[in-house]
Amino acid sequence: MQVEKFYYDNKIVKAFGIATIVFGIVGMLAGLWAAIQIYYPAISLNLPATTFGRLRPLHTNAIIFAFVGNSIFTGVYYSLQRLCKARMFSDKLSWLHFWGWQAIIAAAAITLLMGVTTGKEYAELEWPIDIAITLIWVVFGINMFGTILKRRERHLYVAIWFYIATWVTVAMLHIVNSVEIPVTFLKSYSWYAGVQDALVQWWYGHNAVAFFLTTPVLGLMYYFLPKAANRPVYSYRLSIIHFWALIFIYIWAGPHHLLYTALPDWAQSLGTVFSVMLIAPSWGGMLNGLFTLRGAWDKVREEPVLKFMVVAITCYGMSTFEGPMLSLKNVNAISHFTDWTIAHVHIGGLGWNGFLAFAIIYYLLPKMWNTQLYSKKLATNHFWLGTIGIILYAVPMYWAGFEQASMWKQFTAEGQLKFQFLETVTNIIPMYVARSVGGLLYLTGALMMVYNVYKTVKQGSFIAEEAAEAPALVKEAPHKEYWHRVLERKPVTMLVLSLILVSIGGLVQMIPTFLVKSNVPTIASVKPYTPLELQGRDLYVKEGCYTCHSQMIRPFRDEVARYGEYSKAGEFVYDHPFQWGSKRTGPDLARIGGKYPDSWHYNHMYDPRSMSPGSVMPPYPWLLDKAIDTSNTAAKIRAMQTLGVPYPEGYDQQANRDLMKQAETIAANLKKDKIETAPNAQIVALIAYLQRVGTDIKLEPKPLAENK
Amino acid sequence: MRTKTKYTLGLLAALLLGAATPVWAAGPPAPSIFSNPLALTFIILMVLLLVIIGILANILIGAADVKLKKRKKASGLLASVLTGLLLLASPALFAQDAPAAAEATNTAAKTIAGMSASTFYILATVIFLELFIIIALLINIKFLLRNEKDKIAAETETAEEKANKLSWWDRFNALRPVTEEASLDLGHDYDGIRELNNRLPGWWLYGFYFCIAFAGVYMWRYHVSHTAPLSAQEYERSVVKADLALKEYLKSKGEAVDENTVKMMTGADDLAAGKAIFVKSCAACHLETGAGSVGPNLTDDYWLHGNDMKSIFKTIRYGINAMPPWQSSLNNKQIAQVSSYIKTLHGTNPPNQKPPQGNLMKEEAAPAAPAADTAQAKPVAKN
Repeated sequence: MQVEKFYYDNKIVKAFGIATIVFGIVGMLAGLWAAIQIYYPAISLNLPATTFGRLRPLHTNAIIFAFVGNSIFTGVYYSLQRLCKARMFSDKLSWLHFWGWQAIIAAAAITLLMGVTTGKEYAELEWPIDIAITLIWVVFGINMFGTILKRRERHLYVAIWFYIATWVTVAMLHIVNSVEIPVTFLKSYSWYAGVQDALVQWWYGHNAVAFFLTTPVLGLMYYFLPKAANRPVYSYRLSIIHFWALIFIYIWAGPHHLLYTALPDWAQSLGTVFSVMLIAPSWGGMLNGLFTLRGAWDKVREEPVLKFMVVAITCYGMSTFEGPMLSLKNVNAISHFTDWTIAHVHIGGLGWNGFLAFAIIYYLLPKMWNTQLYSKKLATNHFWLGTIGIILYAVPMYWAGFEQASMWKQFTAEGQLKFQFLETVTNIIPMYVARSVGGLLYLTGALMMVYNVYKTVKQGSFIAEEAAEAPALVKEAPHKEYWHRVLERKPVTMLVLSLILVSIGGLVQMIPTFLVKSNVPTIASVKPYTPLELQGRDLYVKEGCYTCHSQMIRPFRDEVARYGEYSKAGEFVYDHPFQWGSKRTGPDLARIGGKYPDSWHYNHMYDPRSMSPGSVMPPYPWLLDKAIDTSNTAAKIRAMQTLGVPYPEGYDQQANRDLMKQAETIAANLKKDKIETAPNAQIVALIAYLQRVGTDIKLEPKPLAENK
Repeated sequence: MRTKTKYTLGLLAALLLGAATPVWAAGPPAPSIFSNPLALTFIILMVLLLVIIGILANILIGAADVKLKKRKKASGLLASVLTGLLLLASPALFAQDAPAAAEATNTAAKTIAGMSASTFYILATVIFLELFIIIALLINIKFLLRNEKDKIAAETETAEEKANKLSWWDRFNALRPVTEEASLDLGHDYDGIRELNNRLPGWWLYGFYFCIAFAGVYMWRYHVSHTAPLSAQEYERSVVKADLALKEYLKSKGEAVDENTVKMMTGADDLAAGKAIFVKSCAACHLETGAGSVGPNLTDDYWLHGNDMKSIFKTIRYGINAMPPWQSSLNNKQIAQVSSYIKTLHGTNPPNQKPPQGNLMKEEAAPAAPAADTAQAKPVAKN
């Protein structure tokens, strides 16, 4: 057998590693900035670009796709070459992938701060960027599969199973959720509306967590943990069972983000039960991680890399147990829309993703620069600071969530709500302060790592091309093997099998929701938005109102008392995209229409605290000055018509006239309250939209019309 | 060992002192703090942490004791110093709690979660302080125990015996001794990574089966046998239950006021309460003076929805047009109070009045002064 000599490409790993660190810091800073705004609104600098509604998507996108994304690519490009005993398939594709991804991140940062957003969480990027993501993802796929196909290792190691499943599922999720109809270069409408949009979005949103933040990172764990601990993987059997169970079950769990909403009950129940069934497969990953450390716990005491990994895996275990618990309806009734969810995701984000990324960086540095880590002590301190940061972040948020939810639900003996919404917010402000301190500690730890990395790189010498050798694969005579070993020899079969398994859940949930009419009972009085309201709605999306305000009244006695009749599926049929939201830092707006006079909204947008003293909402003075862009009204109407919104034939030509007529009515109305405003000011459109939200149903004598 | 018992006793004393402290501090001077669930949680947490500190301190002393004996030095000195320190420490905590209680009674200005801000911060500081002490104790214990554990283990067991011994934890997880590892090795080698083929832990496997069974039962109950309520049914039930409870409550309180029975309230307490509600909830739109801004002027003779007590009560309770309904935030008594207060605003002629809206509705013999207004308003309300 002939031994072949070849070189591993470390340069691409280095590039992704640097990007990981840079965007990690950027993403954490954005998070800290947004966190401080909640109790100190002035720090938004009163700039449109840096208000909470735009900064929050920037934070989530930067952390998920820039920080964790680059850390995944760092680890994959390093481990895949070694597990396949082959250099990456194509250096050109590697660099196209790298620069393409960074360009997408830059474009994302700029557009999000401009307020260019689709209004769907973690999928906020507009259609040109969506297309770019698809292309770069394909580049990554070709490069990865090319490497796998020319490997010198007969069987695929479990890490690679996870990489394959990740690639194919993310491709599916991204493409399906991003189906949208472009209106202009930077504006599109989601293809789906209301309930259907919500189902697709949370199928995507939940599985972005599953297949971007979990499966690839599990793959990384399977490579870097046994390497760092120098211990054999605990159980191959467990790897097989938990891998296939995990990818099959995960995809079904999306509807647990929509419990008690207008989503059909059967879909909600599927979300719940599949979440519960997910505990064991998730914990399989944790067990395979922690038990691999058996016999190496003395090393954990010494080695910061292992310390980070242990806490990362523990956090993974915690949040994957908590997730299913939050999917139980009685728990979700308390946790949903509160900071409990925020605490939950940060155990995963800060603990699992962040700490594993740090562990990989600390592991790779000495290997790729052929030196010792500059300071183990500094890394250990980073570990402790980060851990304390996580605790200080999560505990106050759990507390805040639980306390706020219980305040929302309290009634007096006379049957009145005990607390106004605002009281429930101002009450937990100390917790918001505490969590930003936690975040600051975590960020400080990361900065210590930056210094450590810099010093280590300075003292070492980079090995760009790492020499390796292995015999080429030769055809084997057929022989009997364990069935899964056979599968491990066939990457394409594995890819197809993964795709089939991950498609099932989505199809079973989506097809009936789209095709069976009884799932979204129509309400005759619900009509399309007027052109002015449509423009106002786009402003609502642009300013990221959904990051703090839900539009979904759940069928709870307290919510009906506070906001009005609970939301029905038929109310959202013209909502492209849906704006149900996932967090109530402000009150629900599903029935805001007609609740306050126009002038209240005008004053409230100019200075929220003038109308509701103590409010933590940022002011939006620019809405009063900027004019609506009416040049795209016709295009917007046509796009909506394409999506099936029943505007009359040729209405696009008449739309702007109707728009001005309605705007002038509102301006005149404001004038009665001594407010002078231009009819084409953005505030007028926003008021038109807000006064419409949730009012249609009131025109119907019997809101729950026949289902057929 | 006799000395050790002595220190334990000393420690217990310190603990009791410490544990009693927050209870005492929060007790007699400010009983209100006890009724605050958050404060209570804080206090329980404080006590709990203190107990942990006590236990850890005890362990630390024990560890130090062993270490000192090993060095063949007098153990009494350090141990008594430590006990003394602990005794000192608990009055120190005590001293921090006392002002908390005092503050609670004095300041009522700024509150956090129903406590005064300073109480909140002091309680929180104490808890954080306790956490720091715990961390410090843990580090010290770890430092003291590290060498000892290794040495003791080495003395009592050979390396092999140790490796073969299975703890309850190992058995629980179906783990095999590390020495048997070779028999579990599958011979896989991926960049130096080997794989074992350990059995799945029983609890994991049966846990998985249990979750699958749970899923089946859940779907069956909600969607086949319909023995569990779906969201809408759950809501209807909760409303029925709440209505029943409310009826019971109202019955127990005798007839409650509503728009058919409401009368102008003239008591100073009621009007003060009405004013407080007005300032908090109405002033944003009607201004504190009632002169009107977003909402109409309440001091002039023009009314959109009636100026008698019953009409005002109804407008506030159920809302109308731009006026939001207040029935879910204010109870009927409160609505009667604020309605009465609004009637006292009539004719006060504040600056910056909003132009008249609605119909002219003169009150009979409209009085100039609000004081007289309250006396005269009664017959009007009867209209």
